[in-house]
Amino acid sequence: MLAGWILSLLVAAAPAPTPTASGALHDGKPRVRATLVSDVTQVEPGGTFRLGVQLQMARGWHVYWRNPGEAGLASEVVWDTPRVTMGPLSWPAPEVYRSPDGSITSYGYGGEVLLFASAHAQADVQPPLTVVATAEVLVCEVQCIPARLELTRVLGVGPRQADASGSVALDASAARVPRAPAAAGLRVTVRRTTSFVPGLPFEGELMVERIDGSPEPLAGADAFVPERLPGILAVRAIPEGTGRLRLWGKAAPDPSPASPRIAGVVALGSGGAVEVSAPFELPHGLAPHPAAAHPPLPSRTPGLPWMLLLAFLGGVLLNAMPCVFPVLALKAYGFARTVHADHGSVRAHALAYTGGILVSLLALAGAVLALRAAGHAVGWGFQFQEPLFVAVLCGVVLLFALNLLGVFELTPPSHGTESLVAAVDHSHGPLRSVGEGVLAVVLATPCSAPLLGTAVGFAFAASAPVVLAVFAAVGLGLATPFCALVLVPGLRSRLPRPGAWMERGKQLLGFALLGTGVWLIGILGSLAGVDGVVRLLAFLVVVSVAAWAWGAWRRRAVLAGGLVLVLATGWAALRFATAPAQMAGREAWSDEAVARSLAQGRPVLVDFTADWCLSCKFNERTVLASEQVQSALVRTRTQLLVADWTRRDPAIARRLAAHGRAGVPMYLVYSPAHPDQPEVLPELLTLDTVVSALERAASAPGALGLSASPR
Amino acid sequence: MPLLRSAVVCATLLLVAPALAAEVGQPAPAFNLKDEVGASHALDQYRGKIVILEWTNPECPFVQRHYGGKTMQRTLATLDGKKVVWLAVDSTSHNTPAKSKAWKAGQGFPYPVLQDQGGEVGHAYGAKTTPHMFVIDEKGVLRYAGAIDDDPRGRSTTPTNYVEKAVNALATGKAVSPTTSDPYGCTVKYGKSS
Repeated sequence: MLAGWILSLLVAAAPAPTPTASGALHDGKPRVRATLVSDVTQVEPGGTFRLGVQLQMARGWHVYWRNPGEAGLASEVVWDTPRVTMGPLSWPAPEVYRSPDGSITSYGYGGEVLLFASAHAQADVQPPLTVVATAEVLVCEVQCIPARLELTRVLGVGPRQADASGSVALDASAARVPRAPAAAGLRVTVRRTTSFVPGLPFEGELMVERIDGSPEPLAGADAFVPERLPGILAVRAIPEGTGRLRLWGKAAPDPSPASPRIAGVVALGSGGAVEVSAPFELPHGLAPHPAAAHPPLPSRTPGLPWMLLLAFLGGVLLNAMPCVFPVLALKAYGFARTVHADHGSVRAHALAYTGGILVSLLALAGAVLALRAAGHAVGWGFQFQEPLFVAVLCGVVLLFALNLLGVFELTPPSHGTESLVAAVDHSHGPLRSVGEGVLAVVLATPCSAPLLGTAVGFAFAASAPVVLAVFAAVGLGLATPFCALVLVPGLRSRLPRPGAWMERGKQLLGFALLGTGVWLIGILGSLAGVDGVVRLLAFLVVVSVAAWAWGAWRRRAVLAGGLVLVLATGWAALRFATAPAQMAGREAWSDEAVARSLAQGRPVLVDFTADWCLSCKFNERTVLASEQVQSALVRTRTQLLVADWTRRDPAIARRLAAHGRAGVPMYLVYSPAHPDQPEVLPELLTLDTVVSALERAASAPGALGLSASPR
Repeated sequence: MPLLRSAVVCATLLLVAPALAAEVGQPAPAFNLKDEVGASHALDQYRGKIVILEWTNPECPFVQRHYGGKTMQRTLATLDGKKVVWLAVDSTSHNTPAKSKAWKAGQGFPYPVLQDQGGEVGHAYGAKTTPHMFVIDEKGVLRYAGAIDDDPRGRSTTPTNYVEKAVNALATGKAVSPTTSDPYGCTVKYGKSS
């Protein structure tokens, strides 16, 4: 044995190229010896054969698998085979190594291993065929020693002549390579049983069944050896009954561009092994396991306080968003009044406003939970997909506007400035504050995606108490600026005094609210077409007339008559026929359309959008429609697909859920090189992110997009 | 059955917990270790500075490659010396202060080599490889854990240095990205008892 090592050392030192080499000297002895193995001595032009590198390690030493685990370095073989095309390297199932204290796990091979690949000789292969394999391996016992082994072998060209010992060795190694489950008559199922949130633990299951559905026994220890899994920090498998492993792990703290996958090798009780590579998804889209069934999960993790803080800050920022700003401005006008009221009343207003926001957000959360429980694939902003909801909201906004414009008052008109202040104070009572809180929430939802995306996505995949807590945090954040302004004495004194400017300001705000109404009408137009808009406008005229009549005569009979008229018109007019969406120019999204373009070697950009989503429209106008992005689309031959979620669409909701989203916008860039791993772009696009993502997708190996350009 | 499952999950948590002990975004585990000349270094005393921990072992070829190429020294030189503290930590069970001293003199780097032969601090941080890098912000929160760069085989002429990236992000108040990477190198040679 020793003589063998020394001999091979001498051979390696000699200048002549040889099919064997040794390396990784430790205490003067080589710890690895490599041999280039072929199953033929003579290669047939146009024929297929196999080449491999056999690695023999000294006792106690090992080299690494393609995923080295928590330490080490993957072994690597680089081929130099003129006019012979090499296939990917085949890896026999690895062994599991642990450090003496058990804290570090790695995967590799001790003793002996043969890593091999299939080789295809071109018709014009030239004799003699000199094949060179360079193996780079890290050889470890306690010490780790890198080795670079260059192996050369000369093969004849002509009728195929088998190399008997090489064939035997390659066949033996091939028998140790994990098979595809189908080839072994098995079916491997992987599924997630909890949410998957960056930085948080997750759980899942891996099941191996025979085709008849009976469970296949697995190896007792280390039955699952994972690949390197993007987005997953660590994963462990615990046996749980025959043919079943419970997966327990932790998502990486950085959000991964791709949706999670579980891939690796499953060792069978019978001694063989199968490959597994599957998306790591919840079985039914959105609904995760009930919270009680998984004790160590999100409700107790340190991520929750952070999520609540994020939700709170998102709520604060919502005050500045275009959808909410008119309401806040309206409220700002309200401040000027309330601050001059006594302290108790001010506090009551603040509480009422906060209460209005909280109640409506919690109601929204409750509705979402109920719908989710009922199995509906719903998402953030879903209420804007219901035309009737939009129409009624439009009516409410119009009433607010008419009130501000002075068409009608909620209280009897008074005389003199003092009583006027008192009257307006009264009309801005706590109930009105509640109403404004509710309105703020209703208008805020479509604006929330870019700011609250993370928190809301988390909430939709989490348990019910967590969803409620996150929504409550959003509400508190939304209410805070107003409360702070009103309740902090220093801030209050800086507010301007009331006077005639308030009446003008009030009217101006009325027009701002009418602007919000125009936006809502636009949404309805996209849902129900011109016919729907005409119906809505007719309804709004009736609402205006009723409000005007009430303002002019102020009799109970007028109010009752107005209400009857509005309800009757509403019942008659607000019947919207929802026609299928019209898509012009850009192609509509479907999984098939994505697959078709990828099959042609073209990258795909999918724009998940909706007409009621202002962030989507902003991105489309400022970024996607820009000259830079348009020319990048042409240059990279990227197919732009539009997934329009203006109306509810279960296929789109599922795709959103697959990427942990509950709403739009979402942007996916597929590369033909990685058809299963689209890159998810940020919710607020910039020119740079889009253009560079397109170029990445087009330049990945396997993509044809940039093949024409010089490299 | 649910009871059994809970027990299994709890047991696994206990098993896996040490491996995930130090978490990015969470306070970094406190320590108080002596260096190669016997001076004490506690994490607390460096509050207000960015602390870089480098798990090291002079016997490891990966460490030797990086010191041969002066990766660590050059990384430290690009950073603001007033804001940054670099501490090497050796958790190799058979290492001695004398070995660290000799190695430091031979390589000529300025920072101390903390002596963790018992492996407690290495386990607290979940240090797996040499080198394995950790970046802790001014408030004592772990912000980066992983490899020194994206070049395990030492082939790239322009590797991305993750530690430099993380420290520069922290110094300018930006988010660290990536916050983790797969560390590469030799295993940390912990003793059996730890």
